Amino acid sequence: MIFAGLPIAELVAIFAAVGFGVLVLYILKLRRRVVSVPFSPLWERILRDKEATSLFSKLKRLLSLLLQLALLALLVLALGDPRAAESLIKGRNVVVLLDASASMQATDGSPTRLDAAKDEVKRIIRGLGGADRMLVAQMDAMVTPLGPMTGDTSALERELDGVRATDARADFPRALRFATDVLRGVDRGEIVVVSDGALGDASDASGAVHLGEASLSYVKVGKSSRNVGVTQFSVRRYPLDKSRYEGMLELSNTGTEAEDVELQLLGDGALVDLTKLRLQPGERLPRFYPQLSGASRTLEAKIALVDGGHDSLPADDHAYALLPERRRAKVLVVSGGNTYLEAALLLDEYLDVTDVPPRSYPDAIARGDWDAVIFDGVTPAERPKANALYLDPRGPGSPVKVTDELKQPGFDKLDRKHPTVRFLALDDVNVSLGHKLVPESGDKVIGASDGGASPLLVAGTRGGYKFVAMGFDVRDSDLPLRTAWPLFVVDCVNWFTDEDAQYLSSFRTGEVWRVPVAAGVAQASLRLPDGTTQPVPVHEGRAVMLGERTGFYELTAGEQTIDFAANLLDPSESAIAPRDALVVDGKNAGEISGFHVGVRREIWIYLLLAAALLTAIEWATYHRRVTV
Amino acid sequence: MGLLDVLPWRREKKVAAAKDDDLFDDEFQRKLDYLALVSRRVFAGRLRAERRTKKSGSGVEFADHRDYQPGDDFRTLDWNVYQRFDRLLVRLYEEEEDLAIYFIVDASRSMGFGDGSKLRYAKKVAAALAYVGLANLDRVSIVTTTDHVSGRMPETRGKARIFKAFRFLRAVQADGTTDLGDAMKTFVAQNKRRGLAVLISDLYDPSGFEKGINVLRYNKFDPFVVHVVDPTEGKPKLNGDVLVYDCETGDEREVTVTQKVLTRFGEAYEKYLAEVERYCATHQVPYVRAGIEVPFDEMILRVFRRGGFLR
Repeated sequence: MIFAGLPIAELVAIFAAVGFGVLVLYILKLRRRVVSVPFSPLWERILRDKEATSLFSKLKRLLSLLLQLALLALLVLALGDPRAAESLIKGRNVVVLLDASASMQATDGSPTRLDAAKDEVKRIIRGLGGADRMLVAQMDAMVTPLGPMTGDTSALERELDGVRATDARADFPRALRFATDVLRGVDRGEIVVVSDGALGDASDASGAVHLGEASLSYVKVGKSSRNVGVTQFSVRRYPLDKSRYEGMLELSNTGTEAEDVELQLLGDGALVDLTKLRLQPGERLPRFYPQLSGASRTLEAKIALVDGGHDSLPADDHAYALLPERRRAKVLVVSGGNTYLEAALLLDEYLDVTDVPPRSYPDAIARGDWDAVIFDGVTPAERPKANALYLDPRGPGSPVKVTDELKQPGFDKLDRKHPTVRFLALDDVNVSLGHKLVPESGDKVIGASDGGASPLLVAGTRGGYKFVAMGFDVRDSDLPLRTAWPLFVVDCVNWFTDEDAQYLSSFRTGEVWRVPVAAGVAQASLRLPDGTTQPVPVHEGRAVMLGERTGFYELTAGEQTIDFAANLLDPSESAIAPRDALVVDGKNAGEISGFHVGVRREIWIYLLLAAALLTAIEWATYHRRVTV
Repeated sequence: MGLLDVLPWRREKKVAAAKDDDLFDDEFQRKLDYLALVSRRVFAGRLRAERRTKKSGSGVEFADHRDYQPGDDFRTLDWNVYQRFDRLLVRLYEEEEDLAIYFIVDASRSMGFGDGSKLRYAKKVAAALAYVGLANLDRVSIVTTTDHVSGRMPETRGKARIFKAFRFLRAVQADGTTDLGDAMKTFVAQNKRRGLAVLISDLYDPSGFEKGINVLRYNKFDPFVVHVVDPTEGKPKLNGDVLVYDCETGDEREVTVTQKVLTRFGEAYEKYLAEVERYCATHQVPYVRAGIEVPFDEMILRVFRRGGFLR
């Protein structure tokens, strides 16, 4: 115990001086109120009895004096501002990383792991020494400091109230780098990780995280490992029959007991499939749903334990997916007659194809709002205001310059990632005659001959409209005899109409989502699964946001509305068994120490409270005539 | 009204004086007539006016018989009874005389304590009883006492003299200390004619209330005690540390008044009253406790019923 206020010598002097004053005042004769009575002998009678107990009276007066002196002692002690000796040790700088990842939603805490973690953090805050400073950061897909580095314990506790668990995994390396940055150049730095330990390796693309001078402590929360979750879920339409679709999902049992689960697949909220499954401990069970059909747009997978109970993590019991919207595309074919092309366009029943001869093209293009125009051996003088596929383009109206004639070119080089040629086998296509295309800046060469020197297939944009140009007539090749031909045509139309075969049925939480939006839109608005709306910035034609919640989203960009789904789908988050140890930088995180609750308690407040209590007692006893 | 009369204490004095002026107003006098009438009805069958002494034998009115004792005058033997019952009985006659009634009003400071209501009450009782006495053709005298006889209204008789009594009583002021023993000694020395001595007092006598009564008894007076009691004095409104001083003697005493002390004081007060009553009962002294909260006319009737005043 030390005195942070007045030194002991001064306290003793004050006590002696004021105590003497109290004593003097105490022995002073009480000035009494003078009252006349008609017959004082009556009073004499009762006072004679009272005097018999005068010794007790004197003792009571002594008690009253002691009470006064005790009161004075409490006040003088309060002046001294006594504190626990531990509170004055050199201050530490503590960064608490509070795990708010999806696994912290596990209901084995009070009521959740996150609440238990908050309680632990509060305990740490209350154990801060007088000179300690602390910063609490929420650790999920991002690292969010809840406030500045401060010694204000009440502010630190208030900050905790706003922490909510997200549906994302924690970015532990980023959080550690943040903490080490905060503690760089600071004495007695300490990092405390409050988590269930499901954090993965402490290394990222920059390599392993080094803690430097800072020490690392780990406070474990959670106890249960019972969990069954959906760890994969995806749907897609069949490329050649977009009225049908297939789904794939994976269930994982991360607990230590076998679990019987009921798996429901809902389409637009209506039950599509119901299956009962048994998962062994640690088992990951994939399920396929081929040849699904119907008008469903949203798909939801839901699992529940057969025994009616609940596992510890409800966050991964649901998964969401959204099928790409199907709409009819209007395609104008300008051709002198190409059976192969007509046949290819028949494959997709969602295409409204209009064939016109080249001479009718001006009328046709002026008539309708076309999603795609296919020029078969024809090149208009003026480029259409629509996406266009040019087969063997010629003349000045071609989007790319057509130069040298190529004899027996082939696709020596292919950009297999481009949506128009993805998954297509074009390597051994035989072409008798073609022309070299000269792409402009910004155009993409998808296929080229002569080891890549002579572009044959080029894609790009002109005037805001996409185009694909192929430098040979398909009839001069064996391409129409291959499966790749109709797929190429359909892929081109899909690319034009944004019906990407690589469509993602759902995003993963914890990642930065980049959703393409219409050109010219600078700001988008995102409606979250909970119904709230937030603005989203648009960068390079994509709305950019960090997804932290699972469910269905609606993005509004200008007049365009884009729906998409988001899922946790993270086996490492579903594995909720708390880890006993945390290894960072090759070292085990130690146990937390040096945080004693009450160490910074200000004792003078309690002394004043005690003084007030004594005053109340003195008041009560005086007026009840106990101490007089 | 003078300029200073607006001051509160001046106003109080005026109010007190006005109260004394109204002490014996018309209403009061009407009540006195009523009381005189009632006194006759209560003792119906008695002859008018005359009072009878305890002495018997020399009067003309037969009173009673008693057994013959050796030494009795043979002339008083009732031979008719002897003849009929074969017993020697002596005829007793009531001796008639006009009785002297002395009203001894305590006028010490304790009687004027507070707003002086005890003294006013004592005056009313004295006036009422004096009227009844005068109406019965008794010789009535009023004296006021402190530690001596401080005032005296000579003996008088006849109903018309009641106004003299009123005047005397109006002039009585509370002052001085109480010493009933000394005062009664003076009283008996001044009044050789024995009679009924009605002591109207709060009996707050530091040297003992018995002394005064005993002096009367020992000097063949017939004491009658009207104990004027103000019930509020048993429940003083005090609290905390006080210095109590006696309004007569000025004796001081430090007291810390608590509820417990007040309870004990109340008990002591009741005990004191009981002591007085027990003393009077033991010594066959007629005693009436006159609580000032009781209307005075009711109190007078209580005196009548108690007996000893009207015979």
